[in-house]
Amino acid sequence: MKFYKNAAAAAVSAIMLSGLASAASAGEFDGVTVNILTRPGPVIAGPLKERGLAFEKATGAKIVVNEVPFAEIFPKIQNDWTTKTNSIDVGVFAAGWGVELDAAGLLEDLDPYIAKDKKIDAADIAPYFREFGQKIGGKTKLLMVDGDFQMVYYRTDVLKKAGLQPPKTWQDYIDVASKIHGQDMNGDGQPDYGSCIFKKRNAQSYFAIQTIASSFVQTKGTSQGFHFDNATMKPIINNEAWKKAFEIYKETGKYGPPEELNMDIGDTRAVFKAGRCGLLIEWGDPGTLQLDDDAAKVKGLIYAVSAVGSKEVLDRKTGKLVPVTKENAPNSIDGINYAPFAAFGGWAGAVNAAADAKKKAAAYAFLSYMNQAAQSNVDVTIGSTGYNPYRLSQLKSTDLWVKAGMPKELADNYLGAINGALNNPNMASDMKIPGAQQYTGVVLDTELARYLAGEITVDQALKNIEEGWEKITEDFGRKEQIKAQALALGL
Amino acid sequence: MSDLSLKLEKSDRSLLQRLFEAPAIGKMSLTSKLLSYSVLWFWAIFVIFPIYWVVITAFKDAAAVNQGPFYIPFVDFQPNLNAWRVHLSDPYCDAYAIGRQLILLVYNTFAFIVSPVVSLQAMEPQICKTYLAFTNSVVIGAAATVLCVSIGSMAAYALARVQYKPKFGNILVFVLLALGTIVATSYAGIPWYFSTAVGLVLFFLLARALGKRFTSTLGNGDILFWIISQRILPPIVVIIPIYMMFQAVGLLDTHLALVIVYAVANLPIVVWLMHDFFVGLPIELEESAQLDGASRFGIFWDIVLPLTRPGLAATTLLTLILNWNEYLFAVFLSTSKSQTMPIMVAAKNAGEKGILWWEMCAIIVIMIIPVILMAILLQRFIARGVLLGAVKG
Amino acid sequence: MNSSNSFQPGASPVGISRTRSDRLNEWLDRHSQTFFIAPAVVLLLVFAIFPTFYSIVFALSRVKFTANGLRFRFVWFDNFLAQFSGNEQAHFLGRLTNISVLGWVFFAAVTAATLYWLYKSFRNGASVVGLIGRFISAAMAIFIAFLLGATLLSGNPWGTLMTTMFYVVVGCTVQFLIGTALAFLCSQPISGKNFFRVLFFIPLMITPLGVGYAFKMVLDITKGPLQPLWDAIGLQNWAWSTDAWAARWFVILGDSWQWIPFIFIVMLAALENVSRDQVEAAEVDGASNVQIFREITWPQIMPVAVTVILIRMIEAFKIVDLPNIMTSGGPGIATESMTLHSYFLWRANDMGSSAAVAYLLLILTVVVCSSFFNYIVLGQLRKAK
Repeated sequence: MKFYKNAAAAAVSAIMLSGLASAASAGEFDGVTVNILTRPGPVIAGPLKERGLAFEKATGAKIVVNEVPFAEIFPKIQNDWTTKTNSIDVGVFAAGWGVELDAAGLLEDLDPYIAKDKKIDAADIAPYFREFGQKIGGKTKLLMVDGDFQMVYYRTDVLKKAGLQPPKTWQDYIDVASKIHGQDMNGDGQPDYGSCIFKKRNAQSYFAIQTIASSFVQTKGTSQGFHFDNATMKPIINNEAWKKAFEIYKETGKYGPPEELNMDIGDTRAVFKAGRCGLLIEWGDPGTLQLDDDAAKVKGLIYAVSAVGSKEVLDRKTGKLVPVTKENAPNSIDGINYAPFAAFGGWAGAVNAAADAKKKAAAYAFLSYMNQAAQSNVDVTIGSTGYNPYRLSQLKSTDLWVKAGMPKELADNYLGAINGALNNPNMASDMKIPGAQQYTGVVLDTELARYLAGEITVDQALKNIEEGWEKITEDFGRKEQIKAQALALGL
Repeated sequence: MSDLSLKLEKSDRSLLQRLFEAPAIGKMSLTSKLLSYSVLWFWAIFVIFPIYWVVITAFKDAAAVNQGPFYIPFVDFQPNLNAWRVHLSDPYCDAYAIGRQLILLVYNTFAFIVSPVVSLQAMEPQICKTYLAFTNSVVIGAAATVLCVSIGSMAAYALARVQYKPKFGNILVFVLLALGTIVATSYAGIPWYFSTAVGLVLFFLLARALGKRFTSTLGNGDILFWIISQRILPPIVVIIPIYMMFQAVGLLDTHLALVIVYAVANLPIVVWLMHDFFVGLPIELEESAQLDGASRFGIFWDIVLPLTRPGLAATTLLTLILNWNEYLFAVFLSTSKSQTMPIMVAAKNAGEKGILWWEMCAIIVIMIIPVILMAILLQRFIARGVLLGAVKG
Repeated sequence: MNSSNSFQPGASPVGISRTRSDRLNEWLDRHSQTFFIAPAVVLLLVFAIFPTFYSIVFALSRVKFTANGLRFRFVWFDNFLAQFSGNEQAHFLGRLTNISVLGWVFFAAVTAATLYWLYKSFRNGASVVGLIGRFISAAMAIFIAFLLGATLLSGNPWGTLMTTMFYVVVGCTVQFLIGTALAFLCSQPISGKNFFRVLFFIPLMITPLGVGYAFKMVLDITKGPLQPLWDAIGLQNWAWSTDAWAARWFVILGDSWQWIPFIFIVMLAALENVSRDQVEAAEVDGASNVQIFREITWPQIMPVAVTVILIRMIEAFKIVDLPNIMTSGGPGIATESMTLHSYFLWRANDMGSSAAVAYLLLILTVVVCSSFFNYIVLGQLRKAK
């Protein structure tokens, strides 16, 4: 009896253990599992999962995508890697967040891998993303899968009917929004909205405000930055320029949906896809999202402007707004200063330096696979992936996009806008220093939300932000932050 | 009682009073009945409606959700199984994979338990998202409930039958040493195992010495009060330290961590409820069993527990529900392998695509069904159990 | 486990050899009083008391993530003070400027009443420990009265502390009244009692996260099922989530939906325990329903009532899922409870402040719940005996 019991147990364990071996072919990374942590899909995570399956067939490495709510990605990865728990091998998050992790030595240096990689074609990645997005301290620590910056979109048919030009300055934006607000833009008889912006707290609101503020504050190129005085790390937030930006931001609310204060990006996208928005501040996605089935009402109608600027800029010595001149704004065009904001910096993958060598190799191989033109150029044309263009080959010709279903004129306009932004020497960077999430995502976001809700005045909000930022700088050490800022801006 | 009758005269009754007057003793007037039923049914609709909405949303697709409210399936909209397909047909998952997952769970727990002696390689389960979350919830919920109810009942029984006299001095020494250990580890950078070991040794030495000096003692009531008052502790206070503690022993993202934490979180309730049951039992049965030579545990297991079955059932159900629905600890202590169902619910807040309402509702439905079934089976016991505890407490 | 009749537990009969396991069992049995209670006590000490102390260290430090783990920098009570003054004061306490006359009057009245109560207890010869306890309760009452006067009664917005008190006080009151009313109706001689009892219990079993999302969906103005209703009363363009008070009340709505069943179940059992004979006798005497309730039923269910309120209050202080899901902390910080406040701070990697706010919540909860327990619950229980 005992013998049969033992035999049965042995048989069961044999079956079990045999099943644990990877099925089918002997791939290069057989038996390796790569755990990725990122935001909930299908955006960003979706292509990771799908391409993960193809990657597994080719190499045998299992790609497991773990999803957590957006605001928890960074704390979870930071906790996991600093406490050496190491359940996560790859983090796919905002390129700017890598700086803080890298300062603690947690990111694997990818340059040696890139040197051996024949398929990645790093030269094809747009210079801004290759140098500012992927590199930290001169070494590549991240691989982009998506290139992010914000643009303003407009309903070309609505503006044409109203005889309006696409906005060039933020004052224009308000004018246009006020004139088209209340019109029926999708033929359902209901009045629609002039402008839709995701103003919800703890969501994406703090990006939109920076898109507005950058053109008031940054004039002398990417290395100038628009958050801090780079020599001292004193915040440049409590001044007329940011005040104007805040006030404009609040005023757009007059021409927006009544629930705008509680709408995050998912809600605004649903609204503009239903054809109810005249103007948008958004990332690159509306260009491709308008091709989706549920956006039939607006297909081919949402055009982009690469940047909306300002006729006044900040005089940093006095803290007041002064009109644009060629001296104080060398990059201005026709008296308007543009500073496209690379909001979020783009989704990028970083590899845990403490994972074992085989895992790191597999992780790099997968990120490279996602990054390569063969995969990336397809993904960026599909709206639901959330991947936006960042490779030059994606932006050179409209063929790729027309093939994906974009009308030719829209493709011309869309790529023109993106190229215009990417080639702008005054492109404004998102924060890439330790504590970036705290500075913008918490302090700026909270005070902005309270100002929008009418709890505090704009002066109080700016003062609170200044104090909050100073406290964070002190926490991290002012000298360290000055060094980090210099690295981030390539000074 | 008869004073009341003196206060009333037939002619003093207003219209309102006559409307509500009962036709006979023990029966209700028509208006009272109407009022009662309408209020109760109104509340029933208020209770059912959100649940109904959740259930039908689980069968909607994006268009049906975003284009305004559709109320009746088949009439207003076509129900479909989109959400269910997403959850139940994971490309990685088949029955084989799920079975393997369960076996691996057992294996990994075993590997951890023997790890001080023998080092076994922990194997990574294939992640079948919803199935994993469901399995985790079931396993963690059941294990935590069993642990919590058993430990809690034993403690409650002991508090009901034995007179404890903990010395105040010992408690003081413990508090001071605990603080000392923590300060040493955090500020002076001393490794945690070293400072904890020193702390424990000091405790045993000092407790003996001080025990003779400070002889004031506390009683059972104090111990009971202390245990029950732990419920007041907001989880958020202890979450970060517990995270650090589990990280130090490498138990993050494991089932064991969540089981222990859930057991501790619900211990006060179990002790409170079971204590009242035990106090209410006649002691004669146990005394005669003791004369017969039964061990204490034997008496507990064979005699006392069967007598308190209703209370045990109620407590078990309550604990199970609390463990099943817990979110805060799960979110902090698990990353990928030990994710539970509530985390899956939260993860459906996909941000950019909006909240995937239909998928989220499907998960909520999957979560509700087992609990409702259990509650229906055990609902008779619940009220009695909670009531007795509340009154005597 | 029964040996034969004439043996004492643990002792073995003469002449029969004892095996190792017998001796082990005897030893276990002799020390059973330790082994029965030890697991519970050890678990609580290690996983509840110890972390609470550890949390103090976090609250008194600034914590930094470095390559070698956490770095602690001792800063005394900075984290606590930051909540009470300076930048974060308006987030935690509320805006305290321009206090109105009404505010001052209210504050003065409450302070006077509290001091009088303290004085009376002193005169009535309370013990030293009792007096200290009363002093703490009085201090908390005066502080909260001040906040109430300075914020609500002066037209100022309030912070997370008062929002939490709002959820607790208003929420528990509403839930208790409705729950008891439902229980009272259900305790009448009507049919279908069990059906209602089971049905009303269901909301308690849904995870709070799920309840939050369910209500977010149901209350949605444009896509929710109540949309025709909003249209009919002209509110189709109103967003409850952008109005501070509406958002708070809707959170209470969701919370009540989930927790009224608890009060209902307990009070129903209590009401059913009231002897029918007494009630029927009173009916025979011609008493009205109101009088029966007031004279007979209420005194008997009072002890259970205050206990269930206490239990509900203890849980209410911990509210976090509903405001998080429904409004993410509300327009601005309108619906942010203290747990949510602490959670957001953790997410921002500000461990020190997160622990400090958590500790302040602990202090608030302990003082309020202990005060309620000592002065109301114990009083009622003593009366009942």
